[in-house]
Amino acid sequence: MSADPAYAVELKGVSFKRGSRSIFNNVDIFIPRGKVTGIMGPSGSGKTTLLRLMGAQLRPSSGEVWVNGQNLPALSRSDLFDMRKQMGVLFQSGALFTDLDVFENVAFPLRVHTELPEDMIRDIVLMKLQAVGLRGAIELMPDELSGGMKRRVALARAIALDPQILMYDEPFVGQDPIAMGILVRLIRLLNDALGITSIVVSHDLAETASIADYLYVVGDTQVLGHGTPAELMESDNPRIRQFMKGIADGPVPFHFPAADYRDDLLGAR
Amino acid sequence: MQNRTLEIGVGLFLLAGLLALLLLALRVSGLTVGAGQDTYKLYANFDNLAGLTVRAKVTMAGVGIGKVTAIDLDRDTFTGRVTMELEKRVDNLPVDSTASILTAGLLGEKYIGISVGGDDQLLKDGGTIHDTQSSLVLEDLIGKFLINSVNKDSK
Amino acid sequence: MRRKSIGERIRLLGRAGIDVVGSLGASTVFLLRVLFGRGNVGNGFTQLLIKQLFSVGVMSLVIIVVSGLFIGMVLALQGFNILSSYGSEQAVGQMVALTLLRELGPVVTALLFAGRAGSALTAEIGNMKSTEQLSSLEMIGVDPLKYIIAPRLWAGFISLPLLTMIFCVVGIWGGAMVAVDWLGVYDGSFWANMQNSVSFEKDVLNGLIKSIVFAFVVTWIAVFQGYDCEPTSEGISRATTKTVVYASLAVLGLDFILTALMFGDF
Repeated sequence: MSADPAYAVELKGVSFKRGSRSIFNNVDIFIPRGKVTGIMGPSGSGKTTLLRLMGAQLRPSSGEVWVNGQNLPALSRSDLFDMRKQMGVLFQSGALFTDLDVFENVAFPLRVHTELPEDMIRDIVLMKLQAVGLRGAIELMPDELSGGMKRRVALARAIALDPQILMYDEPFVGQDPIAMGILVRLIRLLNDALGITSIVVSHDLAETASIADYLYVVGDTQVLGHGTPAELMESDNPRIRQFMKGIADGPVPFHFPAADYRDDLLGAR
Repeated sequence: MQNRTLEIGVGLFLLAGLLALLLLALRVSGLTVGAGQDTYKLYANFDNLAGLTVRAKVTMAGVGIGKVTAIDLDRDTFTGRVTMELEKRVDNLPVDSTASILTAGLLGEKYIGISVGGDDQLLKDGGTIHDTQSSLVLEDLIGKFLINSVNKDSK
Repeated sequence: MRRKSIGERIRLLGRAGIDVVGSLGASTVFLLRVLFGRGNVGNGFTQLLIKQLFSVGVMSLVIIVVSGLFIGMVLALQGFNILSSYGSEQAVGQMVALTLLRELGPVVTALLFAGRAGSALTAEIGNMKSTEQLSSLEMIGVDPLKYIIAPRLWAGFISLPLLTMIFCVVGIWGGAMVAVDWLGVYDGSFWANMQNSVSFEKDVLNGLIKSIVFAFVVTWIAVFQGYDCEPTSEGISRATTKTVVYASLAVLGLDFILTALMFGDF
């Protein structure tokens, strides 16, 4: 089997277990190239695990993971290392290296993967920081930055090597409206200007639906549905409807399983 | 830059550690440098080796001239046989020299002291010192003392 | 809360035992991968090592030197006290030196190191884990075991023996100060008795060997607990406690075994 060039990332028949618990059972996910695809689902549905599978941090228990035409689990160590140049990841907490300043953080992937001279590295770092609007913060240390700024620097670092695929892990969590607006704009901008494929994992419906061209909704070890945001809003599938419309009680129940209420109140302890 | 101070600090730290080791070796434990001198072997048989250990000092006139390298039981004579390695420069010991097992201080370690005889012939590598004095055992000493005092009283 | 039955408690105990064995196995695999794995170390191992030597070794100097000084002085005081009832005050030098070199030096330094540097290592690595810095490194293509863990491990291996030597020297010097300057022990016999009874191979080297073994165990425990912890603030604080407790117990237990091996054949 080989890869379809229309898709940047393909998960075919992928299952993943952690211990005895099955996180994913035989899922198929196709991420279209050059577009913003959102992966959404309730908490604990394993969305971050999907990112890690795509990024080769985890191996699937079974199935194939194709990224840019390469079957990840079958790659040799050095091929995998080269692969990483094509992928950038923005983690939920930014994950800047706390003992390096902003410049060194953004320059880090360049130093690892290239042998560029110092002045070229400096130019590239300046350009990336300019793209996220933080060129002036170049000498600061991470603990001098606000949460939103940390994330933007982390984004600059993620695009340092001009990757073809950018993955965002819960980028909207805990952001104030301004920071949110900046991030949304950046994601869209980078995608369109650089022609990259963006994958956004999130449970923030409003923001994700507003920028995604395509959405996957996952839950309960399966893909519950996929389509454009508009299609999913009209969906008949009760679980997709509960998620998209934020209904409190439905396939995912409101009450944690418990004994009968009356017995509990009136009966013996 | 910050890097410089870091490196200097680490360098000083390593130096301090090695210096400490050196101090401990030389000043605290009295390790002598140049211990790789040429040596020759001598043997000696003792009736009682109680307390003598391998690596014990061998001295003459209080000066260290070698050490004990092996202790075995001589099956034929039922005595303890000590192998000593002495510095080559002390190669003028007469064949009738005496080797005694002495104690350093009152309750200290045992060591071997060599006192010279008067013979013209000298001990060579592999030779044996025949005149030996065994380790002093405290109980024997007390026994002797008691017998002596009994003798005196009965006079 | 429901009270647990006896059967449940026994089952939990069994589970705990299995977990301990599992942890031991996991930590061994971890150690082998750090030391012998083929991962990419990224930029300049030496630079990283120097940085860690500074934060692990040099930063521990203050507590080690101060503790060494006080312990040496107390040893001399107490030793003089006890020895004078046997009329053997002149032996206080060798008493201080032997006690420090054989036992207190390696053990106390290791315990202090576990508390200061060990817990700091665990907290630092645990923090990196919980802020996903370790994952970021992986995604960029740098093996965090080689980039983060290995320099810290080697820094511990190198620092602790050096710190132990410094501790002993400072302690002996402190003891000398108290004994000679304050208590009036004769300077010459203090040092002469010490030199006569301290053997380089038996005492200094054995103490050094002990400190190397302790360095290995304490640093290994510290970095593993950090790497293996739950990536939450609770998890980190629990891991830090575990480091100090496990490392201290390991040091004391190993000390007994090593002492029996080294000094047990009278």
